[in-house]
Amino acid sequence: MRQKEQNTFFRVLKYFRPFIGLVCLAGFLALVVNITDLAGPYIIKIAIDDYIVGEKAGGGIKLIGLLYFLSILVGACSNYFQNYVLNSIVQQIMHNIRMELFSHIQHLPLKFFDRNSSGRILTRVTNDVESLNEMYSGVLVILFKDVFLLIGIVATMLQLNRNLTFLSFSVVPIIVVVTFLYRTRARRNFKRVRALIGRINGFLAENISGMKLVQIFHREREKYREFKQLNEEYRRASIFEVALSALFRPSAELINNLGISILIWYCTPRVFASTVEIGVLYAFISYIKKFFGPINDLADKYNVILSGNVSAERIFELMDYDEGLERMESGRPLTELKGKIEFRNVWFSYNGEDWVLKDISFTVNPGETVAFVGATGSGKTTIINLLSRFYQVQKGEILLDGVNINEYRLDDLRRRVAVVMQDVFLFAGTIESNIRLNNEEITPEEVQRAAEYVNADHFIGKLPGQYEAEVKERGCTLSAGERQLLSFARAIAFNPSILVLDEATASIDTETELLIQDSLGKIAKDRTTLIIAHRLSTIKKADRIIVIHKGRIREMGKHEELLAQDGIYRNLYEMQYA
Amino acid sequence: MVRKYIKEFLWTHKVKYILGITALICSGILTLAMPKLLGYIIDCLEKRVVSQSRIAWLTGGMLLMAMAIFGLKYLWRNLLIGRARDLECYLRDKFFSHLQTLPLKFYQQKKTGDLMAYAINDIGAIRRAFAFGLVSLIDGVIINSSSLFVMAKTINPRLTLIGLAPLLVAVVVIFKIKNPLRRSFLKVQAAYANISEKTQENISGIRVVKAYVQEEAEKKKLGLASFQRMRVMLDYIKLSAIVGPTVEICFGLSFSLVLVIGSTYVLDGLITLGDFIAFNTYLGMLQRPVRHIARIVEIWQRAMASSSRLDEIFLTKSDIMDDHPVNAKERFNGALEVRNLSFTYPRTESEVLKNISFKLEAGQTLGLIGPTGSGKSTLINLLLRLYPVPRGHIFIDGIEINDLPLATLRENIGYVPQDNFLFSASLNDNIRFFSERFTLEEIEAAARFASVYENIIEFPDGFETVVGERGITLSGGQKQRVSIARAVIKDPSILVLDDSLSAVDTQTEAEILANIKAILKDRTGIIIGHRVSSIKHADWIIVLDEGRIIEEGNHEQLMAKRGYYYQLYQKQLVESRLQEVGENG
Repeated sequence: MRQKEQNTFFRVLKYFRPFIGLVCLAGFLALVVNITDLAGPYIIKIAIDDYIVGEKAGGGIKLIGLLYFLSILVGACSNYFQNYVLNSIVQQIMHNIRMELFSHIQHLPLKFFDRNSSGRILTRVTNDVESLNEMYSGVLVILFKDVFLLIGIVATMLQLNRNLTFLSFSVVPIIVVVTFLYRTRARRNFKRVRALIGRINGFLAENISGMKLVQIFHREREKYREFKQLNEEYRRASIFEVALSALFRPSAELINNLGISILIWYCTPRVFASTVEIGVLYAFISYIKKFFGPINDLADKYNVILSGNVSAERIFELMDYDEGLERMESGRPLTELKGKIEFRNVWFSYNGEDWVLKDISFTVNPGETVAFVGATGSGKTTIINLLSRFYQVQKGEILLDGVNINEYRLDDLRRRVAVVMQDVFLFAGTIESNIRLNNEEITPEEVQRAAEYVNADHFIGKLPGQYEAEVKERGCTLSAGERQLLSFARAIAFNPSILVLDEATASIDTETELLIQDSLGKIAKDRTTLIIAHRLSTIKKADRIIVIHKGRIREMGKHEELLAQDGIYRNLYEMQYA
Repeated sequence: MVRKYIKEFLWTHKVKYILGITALICSGILTLAMPKLLGYIIDCLEKRVVSQSRIAWLTGGMLLMAMAIFGLKYLWRNLLIGRARDLECYLRDKFFSHLQTLPLKFYQQKKTGDLMAYAINDIGAIRRAFAFGLVSLIDGVIINSSSLFVMAKTINPRLTLIGLAPLLVAVVVIFKIKNPLRRSFLKVQAAYANISEKTQENISGIRVVKAYVQEEAEKKKLGLASFQRMRVMLDYIKLSAIVGPTVEICFGLSFSLVLVIGSTYVLDGLITLGDFIAFNTYLGMLQRPVRHIARIVEIWQRAMASSSRLDEIFLTKSDIMDDHPVNAKERFNGALEVRNLSFTYPRTESEVLKNISFKLEAGQTLGLIGPTGSGKSTLINLLLRLYPVPRGHIFIDGIEINDLPLATLRENIGYVPQDNFLFSASLNDNIRFFSERFTLEEIEAAARFASVYENIIEFPDGFETVVGERGITLSGGQKQRVSIARAVIKDPSILVLDDSLSAVDTQTEAEILANIKAILKDRTGIIIGHRVSSIKHADWIIVLDEGRIIEEGNHEQLMAKRGYYYQLYQKQLVESRLQEVGENG
């Protein structure tokens, strides 16, 4: 575990490499800040010893004052720039990590998305990167300065007076013990508080979405009681957190004062004997106070580092996950596609145990329309998933124009094969941007032509702003039928050689239903089309029908041929027209 | 509202607050006296006017004072900061219990995420005001005023004025920068939200992204969002980083002036060396409050904004009245009549129900069918009084629905929702729905009734098995049956299935329907369906379209009409026949 934490830490540091020049600049500026910081008490010491106690001539004190102000000025400016430089490095790194992670996610196979909830993936890209950000900019930036500062303080003190330095640090062991005691307890309680906040969050999320049910069942009181209990548990942990820090924070100050007292006790006889100058004592008191500042904050920073490290671990875990990573550009380019599809003894399973497709073989000739017919869960959808290589076939092979699809460049393959899913996904944007997606090559005219072709122009024309009409949250303002038509337009705009579509089952009003049927006929023309059909009218229009049941092809042929067989299809048809 | 709650809270804890604030003031004063003592000790040392043992004693006194400060700080931290945590929980408690009273309308307008933000972020902002905000405010006022007092009164008024002049500059700069800083921060937050939205959309639409090879374009899109965030973040830092150095420079100037002028005062004998050192220390002490001014103001402003945001929720009241209930029986017979019911959702234009009338005898079953948005669920929402129901249109057992006590009404209606929402709790709790009044036997009986008993006892922990996020995942059919068990355990006189069967495959549907038949034997049933198969056995079927009844009758009558119902039946036959044929063949 420790080892892993360290590895993560160093891996995080690697992202600084491209910015090494800026890091050095920031380091230099931090050094300047610290030098001026330390110079302050030193200058005042000189002022006291030489000009006030030593009663030197009055002119020099103005110079000293000017010097003091200059050092602060230089320090403050360096501080500003150091802050800015380090933060711009950190922000750049955050951007880089986020993009690296996002790019990686883009090329993960669908299998990954099936297994991980979208909330979880989202958390990696947003919250986790953010808490890395906090660790970097909140802690590393300050730590960077603090380390220099602590070293500087010790060095200056040593240079002033060796014995006093050792004496001043005699209280450090106490600090170490107290901090350690605090840290272990605080860490444990911190985890508990975090977990409880998580539970309160979860409870609220669940109960707000389930509020309708709670009210219908009239269980407000029971739910309230549950919440009260949880809230109380959180309250106790939270109060304990306060008590812990109430003990630790002032104790650091107490130890600080102890250090100063020891110093004075020790110095008293020596000042009397004039072996220690009073200015030195003053400087030491200042330095001890400065020394305790960063130590005091350490407890807070420690928690931030902890949670930042956890986030970094999660991010790297996802970056390292490369099972089935899709490589878009390797393979044979696919410029021209006639549209011949061949499945040869294809077996497929999502989880490696249950075969969803068993020994599927069929051929579709260019320009043909084939309808797949089968019950829910029979494996129809899986067939289209395989054609676009969303999943890898385990046994057998799929050929396009006689070449195994695995040999083609993935991006070319997917560009030539358009898939229209049953539940249409719309992006936030406009109608137009949803038809052409991010493809700049598709002109507004082409978008309109595509929409007209699939009969989508009727409803688009009625929208405020027409093609520029805003599509809100997943297209909730559009009906199921309208969304379906939009997705047809999208597929047509990309002009694919092969069209694969999953017919919608949602109940759609009769008018739109007719429009959809009509446009289905049009878009299937001139290109190889596979349809997962739910409606008999669609099925009858197909050149060929493939009946799938429980992962196997049970019947295949033209409508008339299948009717001639005494099988599933005929049974079905007779039910309807008997 | 929130202010009232806070006042109440402060009043209840007044003793702790008084003690805490006293401790805070004492520790503040002692902290201030500390440098004075230190200064005195150094004076003594320098002048060598007192004995060494006296200095040792003085130092011992200083240590004692440090211990007293320690004790006082421990006290006020516990008393004041601890109360801020109490206040947080107190407000959250109020918030949740208020949420429970709000009607469905409210939840359709507010997103869950937003409501959670109220409960976590806004209440958190108030907590911070009462923790750091309150303490720094009192502390700052004490330190500032008493340091100034000590500096001016006991050390030197002129030196104090000279030392203070540059600090005013710092304060002015801080206040000047405050608003731009806030605007800049809002931009940072917006940029972050943008990244979050873009990513969420990308993940949800990953199939489309992959199908249309949009990966590179998506990267570019997120790249822009991420870059934008970096830019506004740096703008923010550029601005916020000004505060620290400005304060430093102003204090630097103060120190230099004090150094030059103060040292001549020492030489002239106006002040002692100890005074001079103490003066420097006091000046240094001012640095923290001055630096914090911006933050303190910010924290109080945010708390105020959050309090008004919370008020928005607290002042929302339910529009479903439960005022003049008649003395209805505890248990209904279940006769239902709807008379010329039209309904428009509050604050919308178009009618979702238009002149609906039907009558259902106790014990009968009604089937409701029609496309999405035809008004089926609205009808049920009204029956459950999730919206204010216009008077004189819905009657149960002949009593106007608004006259029935809400509790009795909802207690008598068993409701199986569309989405099969289960809580992440044990199956036990899900079936009895967190009520203590049902026995284990009753739970098991309900599970048997819903034919989910066999499934449940197969789970490793049986009825104690936890489902949902923290437990096992149930299949759609299993969830369905659990929510049926949840509805029937109350032994309701009316059972409503709100399109609950469209999520399961036809075979499971058939199984559940067989059960429901038994369950509905001696109660009134309302089944909303997408599929004809789920409602065709109902005594009376209503076909809704755009809020109107377009066809009604029993299955045979509707089939004979060859209208919408008939067509729907034909369309859906393919699917269900396939399933059946497949199973048998």
